[in-house]
Amino acid sequence: MIEIRNFTFTYRESDAPVVRDINLSIPAGSFVGITGAAGSGKSTLTYAMNGIIPHCYPGDFFGSVTVDGLDTCETSLTDISQIVGSVCQDIDSQIVTSIVEDEMLYGLENFGVPHNEIEKRVEEALEDMGISDLRDRVIASLSGGQKQKVAIASILALKPKVLMLDEPTAELDPASSLQVFQLLARYAREHGTTVVVVEQKIALVSEFADMLVIVDKGTIRFADTPANVLAHSEELLEIGVNCPRATTLMNRLAADGVYNGPVCRNVEEACYALMGILGGNPVGRALAESEAIA
Amino acid sequence: MTIEFRDVHASYDANTPILRGVSFTVNDGEFVAFVGTNGAGKSTTMRLVNGLMKPESGEVLIDGVPTTQLKTSELARRVGFLFQNPDSQICCNTVREELLFGFRALKMDMDDAARRVDGIIAEFGFNPDDDPFLLNRGTRQLLALASIVVLETPVVVLDEPTTGLDFRECVKVMDIIRRLHERGTTVVMVCHDMEVVADFAERVIVMSDGLVVDQGPTFEVLRNRRTLEAASLVPPQIVDISLALQLMDPALVESPIARANTLAELYAAIAPDAQAVSFEGVAR
Repeated sequence: MIEIRNFTFTYRESDAPVVRDINLSIPAGSFVGITGAAGSGKSTLTYAMNGIIPHCYPGDFFGSVTVDGLDTCETSLTDISQIVGSVCQDIDSQIVTSIVEDEMLYGLENFGVPHNEIEKRVEEALEDMGISDLRDRVIASLSGGQKQKVAIASILALKPKVLMLDEPTAELDPASSLQVFQLLARYAREHGTTVVVVEQKIALVSEFADMLVIVDKGTIRFADTPANVLAHSEELLEIGVNCPRATTLMNRLAADGVYNGPVCRNVEEACYALMGILGGNPVGRALAESEAIA
Repeated sequence: MTIEFRDVHASYDANTPILRGVSFTVNDGEFVAFVGTNGAGKSTTMRLVNGLMKPESGEVLIDGVPTTQLKTSELARRVGFLFQNPDSQICCNTVREELLFGFRALKMDMDDAARRVDGIIAEFGFNPDDDPFLLNRGTRQLLALASIVVLETPVVVLDEPTTGLDFRECVKVMDIIRRLHERGTTVVMVCHDMEVVADFAERVIVMSDGLVVDQGPTFEVLRNRRTLEAASLVPPQIVDISLALQLMDPALVESPIARANTLAELYAAIAPDAQAVSFEGVAR
């Protein structure tokens, strides 16, 4: 769905490239998580995929980026945005109207979605985000988390082939963040939507993504399944990416020869692995330990 | 300096009550985290502490004095407030001016102010002539925090200080807050990141739907399954593992695994024969 070949980009006002020699292939219907330290080039990479680069940010563009077979340099931003629906990092820069319902209608009407389909799309998207009750609210009166949900719903309603979200859960509590990721995974599974998410919450993204991309100083350091990437927890820490603590614990136990199973991405996997370590007789082992402490 | 809420009710419009009878006390020099879902009333509670909002009924007392009897400027000398979004706070054209702003607004001694601002610029490693709005998000957050720290208020209130920051920036911000607390400042923090709460807070107050549903020492609260469920909270991963293992094998209730709150404690409980391991740089 998205092919990036030998891509290097330098913003007009800067001397050095922000991203260098990027090669990345994102299959249709996959769920891709992108993470890395601040300033590593994550957002630039998303701008290249949704056409903001080169259409809005001028600069030196080397290599090629194609989306659904279209070269982004030769396709207008309007045409790209019919394929790639983007949710910006700065929600306020995305919202253009003052009432939730109007915000939902803005994209649908501009994209020429048939009138008789609009109501259904609005209802569905609001319901999917769990904000049907906010439909008539003034956007300025919403909390940061609620605004974030409105911005995501307004893009979901457009049913783009690619959903691109830059830190969509920054303002959300853990329960809502999980809900957003479950929803994105459902869109990938049921509608074949390609999902690309830039996210600092690595525990969350590792749970849902098929591919985890780690960007470091403008280059791709890792692009693999989350388990294969998380195996490198020490190296990730050096470039400012902290693994989930369940992963850190199990990787350390593996390095010290206590554990020799697959990488654990989350609490559940760690628990099953730990039951294995605690052994054929976890009860006896645990009691022995408690006696040692006493 | 203590903060006390007594049966506080508050709302933005009469039809939607936000706080529905909130009571708690934060003692002098404590580090307390407020947790709960979006819309639970945490940010509203913070606004009541610094007097941006006044209670409809009940009382908010700062060192025994109701906020209704204190002028905004008097409250500002006692309570430093870090907004959720640094851009709601930053208003000057240079880093130096931004750091001096609080002193000017509060009509404090400017010689002393200049000395303190110089100190904080060195401590945080800022360039005093930078335009705040051209800095990246993490640095703007640090600047907003520095402009509170420099005023040396006895209380600081932080509304999600680590939101939108990457791991290194988060460590930097929390390190500054930890040092502030060690110097005796009372710290009140709203935070969704349970790993941060577990690493830094001494006590946790849980809010849900405009009420305080639990409060107590950090790990007592974060290990209470009923509380976690009532407030839709996910415990920090190490606590989560410790709780889950006990469910999978009830015999573990008696083992140190059942009491492990940190990476190092859980590691030692699982591999007691291995030498002590430090997780410095990852977690406290």
